[in-house]
Amino acid sequence: MSDPPPTLRPTPLSVLVTGVHRRLGPELILRLLERDDVDRVLAADQGPCPVTLHGLDPARFAYVPADLRKRRAVDNLFLAEFVRDHPLDTVVHLAFQGNPLGYDIEGHEFNIHATRHLLDASLRHGVGKFIFLSSDAVYKLGPRTDFRVREDAELNLDPDAHPILRDTLDAEFLCRAKMDSETCEVMVLRPSGVFGGGVISGINLLFESDPPLLPVGFDPMINPTNKERLVCDLLLAVFLHGKGVFNVAGPRVGPISEFLRERNIPFKRVPGPMLRPLNKLQRMLGKTRYHAGFNPGRLFYSLVLDDSRFTERFRRAAPLVFPDPDAPCRATLADVAMMPEPAEADASRK
Amino acid sequence: MHEGPRVSQALLHVPKDLGPRLAQRVLPPEERTRLAAYALKDAGLGVDAFGTRKDALAAAYALGYLLHEHYFRVQSRGHASIPTHGAAVIAGNHSGVLPFDAMMVATDVFRNTWPPRLVRYMVDYFVYRIPFLGVFFRGVGQVPGTRANFDGLVREGHIVGVFPEGAAALGKPAERRYELYPFSPGHVELAARHRVPVIPFGLVGAEEQQHMVANLAPLAKILRLPYVPITTTFPWLGPLGLLPKPVRYFIEYGEPIHVDPAVLSSVRIREREVERVRTAVRDLLRRGLAWRKEFERGRS
Repeated sequence: MSDPPPTLRPTPLSVLVTGVHRRLGPELILRLLERDDVDRVLAADQGPCPVTLHGLDPARFAYVPADLRKRRAVDNLFLAEFVRDHPLDTVVHLAFQGNPLGYDIEGHEFNIHATRHLLDASLRHGVGKFIFLSSDAVYKLGPRTDFRVREDAELNLDPDAHPILRDTLDAEFLCRAKMDSETCEVMVLRPSGVFGGGVISGINLLFESDPPLLPVGFDPMINPTNKERLVCDLLLAVFLHGKGVFNVAGPRVGPISEFLRERNIPFKRVPGPMLRPLNKLQRMLGKTRYHAGFNPGRLFYSLVLDDSRFTERFRRAAPLVFPDPDAPCRATLADVAMMPEPAEADASRK
Repeated sequence: MHEGPRVSQALLHVPKDLGPRLAQRVLPPEERTRLAAYALKDAGLGVDAFGTRKDALAAAYALGYLLHEHYFRVQSRGHASIPTHGAAVIAGNHSGVLPFDAMMVATDVFRNTWPPRLVRYMVDYFVYRIPFLGVFFRGVGQVPGTRANFDGLVREGHIVGVFPEGAAALGKPAERRYELYPFSPGHVELAARHRVPVIPFGLVGAEEQQHMVANLAPLAKILRLPYVPITTTFPWLGPLGLLPKPVRYFIEYGEPIHVDPAVLSSVRIREREVERVRTAVRDLLRRGLAWRKEFERGRS
């Protein structure tokens, strides 16, 4: 059975964004607040409000410091005065301790409990859409990896996998368990590596290393996305109906070395078995934040995400969400063959 | 120029222009035209979605041409069976310790089709665990043998090469020459699912290029390889001992086999269709052996 055509969710929206200390969160909030069909945005994270979010219209934006590990703190977000007359109808869950540096049991509790409490609260408070940003690290990597990895590909369920990887899968499974909800559309997005200044993604941290280290004799294929494109994808997920697990990736596929070369980033090749010790040394010297032990196969085997399902279901409907042909997201998604403009579609219907 | 890319080029890839330079030096003008006519569907950075690179293809084709024309002096017939466009599965016998047979079939198809067609083999996974080798295989358009990869290749209209006997057949002992190992059923299932024809081929010659004496199975297991050969020349002559003898190859392509779609719903029909392909390959081998005899008689 084919999917029904994509449709817009009722607006205006009232959105909760968690994890705004990531680079992606503030970018998403700014883009949401640019729109007339977003009523208000509530941001939540641990610690003070990030500087990039200072000075936003207090009638439409509020930041609440919250310990998302605590059920009560999460519940309080949905009961906040700021959203009392405009109940939250969308949750974008970006709060995830994905950096192996400083990861401990608290990080684990944060990753799992925050997802569980947010999801439970969303279902209890009548939220219409819950979006969890996962990672491409959930896929099992090896010589058998397909040339394009679909959402139903084998997952990395290795009990010896890095705890953050296990957390990511656990959080995904919590979301998947609720995907049958009739009132809340639960979505999991698995982005490929994300480029962008300061973004904590494996590929970005590798590219920001001095120098990036690659194993001799291997050159995996990747299709990384970037911060801007991922924000556009998140906006599409926010505004359009749809649920399920979706890959999101960049439009171009190539060997990792070509992406480095394209950016004029000098890199070094080291023998495969030396990669992890040398990476550790680099980290001790402050030359990199990349953690080669996090997903050991990443620099050896290709991982190209097949995001055709997301493209068909969401990106092709971009004109519905961004009717202005000059909208930045229309340019960002220029590689996608989009459905007819809303006006053209109306005319053809008549 | 940064040091990283320089080092990587030295260690990982041949310099980018080496392939074209080699092709320029080795290939006659009509073969260079053929190489230039091969259309690579660029996925963004000069490679296609499978990682195929034009420069790697140029190098491989130059080498393949030399071996095809001067070393193995390939004789082939039945090219009319190979479709000029659209997807197909090409399946045949496998032997010779190192897969020169696969290389010669790919070169032969490339040389005898217009526009030139590249055979994309379903390759055993172990290749992609080996430094450089995996990158090289990917660069020349060969992919790990997974179902999704097969589907992707067929969807994009490629010719998919399959050796249904498996990689173990490469290590066939000398006393089993020209015997076919049992065929795995994957190729007929996939061909049926996509409604694409199977082109059988029989290749005579590769079985004599190496004389396999024994297989060091325990060592192969440790190294996670399908076999470790002991031949009359390897390991006694070091890596040089793996080089094949310059035997003449005879390749014959058979009529396309349209697989019964019912293979997807019946084990019995699947076995019957696998046997059909196997019988076709066996017949082609017999004809190939007779052809070789005739050819050698004609020469003497």
